[in-house]
Amino acid sequence: MKTNLEKKGAAQAAFLSSMIGILTLSAVNLGTEISEAFKETVFNIGKLWMPGAEGIGPYSGKETLSLLAWLISWFILHRMLRSKEWNQPAVLMVFLLGIGVATTLLWPPVTHLFLR
Amino acid sequence: MPSSGFIERRSNKILILGVLLVLSQIAAIMLLTSAPAEALLGETIYGLRSAFHGLLAGVLMVTMTIGLFQAFRLWTGESVSIGDLETGSVLNAAICFVTIVLGNWLYIPYRAKGGPRTYFLENSPEVHKIFFEFKEFTALFTLPLAVAAAFIICLYGNRIQSNRILRETTALLLLLAFFYFLVAFGLGAAVTKLKPV
Repeated sequence: MKTNLEKKGAAQAAFLSSMIGILTLSAVNLGTEISEAFKETVFNIGKLWMPGAEGIGPYSGKETLSLLAWLISWFILHRMLRSKEWNQPAVLMVFLLGIGVATTLLWPPVTHLFLR
Repeated sequence: MPSSGFIERRSNKILILGVLLVLSQIAAIMLLTSAPAEALLGETIYGLRSAFHGLLAGVLMVTMTIGLFQAFRLWTGESVSIGDLETGSVLNAAICFVTIVLGNWLYIPYRAKGGPRTYFLENSPEVHKIFFEFKEFTALFTLPLAVAAAFIICLYGNRIQSNRILRETTALLLLLAFFYFLVAFGLGAAVTKLKPV
């Protein structure tokens, strides 16, 4: 099935997957703040491939998981939506909401609330 | 004769470019051999990493600002050059990627024992725990946003001009990329000012 440029589904897949990558980063960061075991797992994931991962700690794993979520979701969404029309207001609302939630959860004073 | 006029103009252009090239080479040799670069880069061995990351972030400020300007034009429905938009957005996304990679490289000495992180945690923990931690993540937001914008621009090309949904979505992505870049850039500059790597 080819990409239908008249229906804009491919654009929808592109920006929704960027939101998924950003939300994943936020969720993984929250998880590492809450659980030491999860933090160690995330660090180990980063160490699997990233040069200098030892030096940057769990941040390497957070980047890796966010990158994977972004690119894999983009691949899947692109295949699903490339020939479909989108419901613009609803999808854009979901996108903005996702970015807003990710930003809020990454603001350290909010993140630290989950530790209490 | 028109043909000789054309040849004359072309020759002048080559001559000017040649003179500029020679002058820039002379300036570069003088700078490299006489400037106290170590004073500019700082006392530590990580000065070069810091300089590269800062330089790329500076270039990214330029491309992101151009992106913001293009976003405004797209949002208001003004005519834009799709060729410029494609080149600019791809360049923006590529520089964004390289800046993040260099940021990772610089993060190693920042986190190392005795580095700025240790200093902040001992003297002013909120600088690291709030501002730096927020900066390190918002910087990562910029890449998927900038790439998504570049992808939409390159895929749809001239269709963007005539389609309100695509114009506004692309403008929104460029605007968000600029916003998160600005947060990371501002906080990064402030943290570096307090305690350089």
